[in-house]
Amino acid sequence: MQTRRSFLKFGAGAAAIGALSPLSVSANSSNIKWDEEHEIIIVGSGFAGLAAAVEAGKLGAKDIVIFEKLGVYGGNSTLNAGQACFANTDLQKKLGIEDSAELMVQDQLKSGRGYASEQLLKHSAELGPYIYQLTKDCGCVYRDHIINTGGTSATRSHQVVERSGAGFIRPMLKTARSYGVKTKIRHKFEHLITAKDGKVLGIQVRRGYHFGHEDSGELINVKAEKGVLIATGGFGANVSFRQALDPNLGSEVGCTNARGATGDGLIAMLAEGAMPIHLSFIQSGPWASPDEGGFGYGAGFSLYNFPHSIAIDRNTGRRFMNETADRKTRADLEVQRRDKDGNPNPALLIAPKHEAQKDPSMANVLKYNVAWEFDSVEAIAKHFDLPKKELKAQIDDWNKYVKTGEDPQFGKRMNMSTGIYLTAPFIVQRLWPKVHYCQGGIQINAKAEVIAAKTGKNIPGLYAAGEVSGGVHGVSRLGGCSTPECMAFGVTAARSMMKA
Amino acid sequence: MKKINTLLVLILGGCIALSAQARDKRDYHEMVYDSGCKTCHDQGMKAFPSDNSCLQCHDMSELAEQTKREGHEARQNPHDSMHYGQEAPCMECHGEHKPKQAICMDCHNFDFPKFKQ
Ligand SMILES: Cc1cc2nc3c(=O)[nH]c(=O)nc-3n(C[C@H](O)[C@H](O)[C@H](O)COP(=O)(O)OP(=O)(O)OC[C@H]3O[C@@H](n4cnc5c(N)ncnc54)[C@H](O)[C@@H]3O)c2cc1C
Repeated sequence: MQTRRSFLKFGAGAAAIGALSPLSVSANSSNIKWDEEHEIIIVGSGFAGLAAAVEAGKLGAKDIVIFEKLGVYGGNSTLNAGQACFANTDLQKKLGIEDSAELMVQDQLKSGRGYASEQLLKHSAELGPYIYQLTKDCGCVYRDHIINTGGTSATRSHQVVERSGAGFIRPMLKTARSYGVKTKIRHKFEHLITAKDGKVLGIQVRRGYHFGHEDSGELINVKAEKGVLIATGGFGANVSFRQALDPNLGSEVGCTNARGATGDGLIAMLAEGAMPIHLSFIQSGPWASPDEGGFGYGAGFSLYNFPHSIAIDRNTGRRFMNETADRKTRADLEVQRRDKDGNPNPALLIAPKHEAQKDPSMANVLKYNVAWEFDSVEAIAKHFDLPKKELKAQIDDWNKYVKTGEDPQFGKRMNMSTGIYLTAPFIVQRLWPKVHYCQGGIQINAKAEVIAAKTGKNIPGLYAAGEVSGGVHGVSRLGGCSTPECMAFGVTAARSMMKA
Repeated sequence: MKKINTLLVLILGGCIALSAQARDKRDYHEMVYDSGCKTCHDQGMKAFPSDNSCLQCHDMSELAEQTKREGHEARQNPHDSMHYGQEAPCMECHGEHKPKQAICMDCHNFDFPKFKQ
C-alpha cells in the first residue's frame, strides 16, 4: 500500500512537470527536432492497435511502428476471455444459426438504452465477417461451438480455443511482425505534437520507460507521415480518474484490467481539444471475486453458475437480486452488501457441486482458494457467520422455484435451472464487483477519425480505435462485443491512414 | 557548519542506500557483484538494466524448459505463458534489489513454489 501511495504522489509531481511540455512543443512545432519518423504510428498493442497494424501491412504500408508502454504486449486484450460476437459467419451458417448485422445492431442499440451510436455499431457489425476471416488468416483458431451471451437475439459469440484474448494477440503480433511492423515495449506515449492549425504531426514518447517509474527513460519526438492512431485502451485502472466520473468506483472496488489501463491516450487527446463522450458510463463485472486479482478464475465460475445458483446476503441469509440480471443491476446491488459498520461484506454465490463440476472452472476456483466446498448448509452458515435458519429457508424456497419454474422473489428466468436442485455438497464463492470496461472515451466517426469538441470536425492526422473511443455502446456494452469493435475500428483507422 | 551538515546527510544517505542495496541482493548472484555493478547496469547506474542484461547469462528457452509444468498447470509456465509466450522481460516479474511478484499474480493465485520474492 505504501509503495502504491508513494508512487501516486510521485506520479502526480511528474505529471505536473509533463503538463508544461506539450505547450512548448506545439508552440514551436515548426522547429521541432525529430528523433524518428514513421509512415504510421500506432500507440497501444491491444486488439485495436494490432488489427490496424495487420491491415496497414496488408495494404502495403512500409514503415509501421507500435509503441507499447508496458514490458508486455496486449493490454486488456490478452487478458480477455476470447469471446467475439460476429454476425453472419461461415461457422454460424454451418451450425444453422441465422443472424445478420442488422440484428446485432438492434441488440446493441437496446442495451445502449438510447445512447449508442447506430452509425458506428452498423459500421462495426458489417465488418464482422471480414474481421473473423482476418483473425483466422493470422492463425487464430476458433472453437467449433458458438456461445450464447446475455442480451443477444442470436447465438454469435465466437471464441478462440485458448478461451483467452491471448489466442488473438499472439498470432496477430506475429503476423504484424511478418509485415515488418516494428513493435516496441517500454515506449510510453506522453502527448501529441501538433501544428499551430491543430493538425497532428507526431508524438512525444518516453523511450525505456518502466511502469510505475514516471521519470524513467528518455523523451524522444517521433514524426508521423500518414497519421497517429491512439489505441491505448480504457482507464479502468486509474482510480482517481474513474472515481471522479463515478463516485461509486473508488479503490474498494477492484478492477479486471491490465496495469496499463490508465487512460493516457484519452487524457492526451482531451488536452488537444478532442470531444469526450459518455465518460461516466463505466461497467463493473458482477461475477468477480475479491479473493484474487483481476478477472482471474472466479469470473468464469460464477458466469457458468449464476443461472442455477443463488447469491446470498451474509446479513440476512437471503437472496438480494436476480442472479441473471444485467451487469449494472447486479454490480450495484452487490456493492451495497455491507456489515453494520459499512464495510464491504461480500455476498456468497452458492452453487450445487453436481452441476458446477460440469465446467472446468470449478477445479480452478477450488485449487486457487477462490471458492470452497461445504457438505451442508450448517457448514456454510458457520464458516461465513450467517443466520442458519434463514439460509436453510432460502434454499428450500429456491428449490421450490426450481420445481415450479417460477421465481416469485426476483423474477429470474428459470429455464436454465430446470431440474438443477440446490443440494449438498455446495461450492461457495464470494462476490464483489470489479471495474471492467469503459464505454465512454473520445468521439470518433466511421472513419476512426477523432472529432474536435470545438468544431465537430475531425482533427487532421489523428485517429482513435478500441476502448479509448467512446459513444459506440452507450450505457451498457454487451458481452463479447468489444473485441469485434476494437478490431473493426483498428482496421478502419489503417484504411483511413493509407488513404490520407 | 551548514555545508558540513549537508555533506553528512549526503554521505549518510548514500550509506543507507548502499546498505539497503547490499541487503537486497541474491546470494546466487554474488559473482556478478564481484565483477561490478555495471555488469548488469549496462545503461548507466541511474537507469534500469536493459531487458537483455539478464539474458547475458540466462537463456529464455532453457528457463522455459526448467519451469515446464504438466497437466492442469501446463499453461502456467511463467517463462512460456499463454498470454506472453517467452517474451515477458525478466524485470516484469523479478527484482534484484527489490521484492517483486510474478505478473501472473495480478489476476491468478498461482503457486510458484520456487519463486524467490
Ligand atoms: C479480463 C477481461 C476480459 C474481457 N473479456 C472480453 C470478452 O471475452 N469479449 C469482449 O468482447 N470483450 C472482453 N473484454 C473487453 C475487451 O477485452 C477490451 O475492451 C479490449 O481488449 C480493449 O482493447 P484495446 O485495443 O482498445 O485496448 P487494450 O487491449 O487495453 O490495449 C491498449 C494498450 O495500450 C497500452 N498503453 C496505454 N497507455 C499507453 C501509453 N501512454 N503509451 C503506450 N502504450 C500505452 C496499454 O498498456 C495496452 O497494452 C474483457 C476485458 C477484460 C479486462
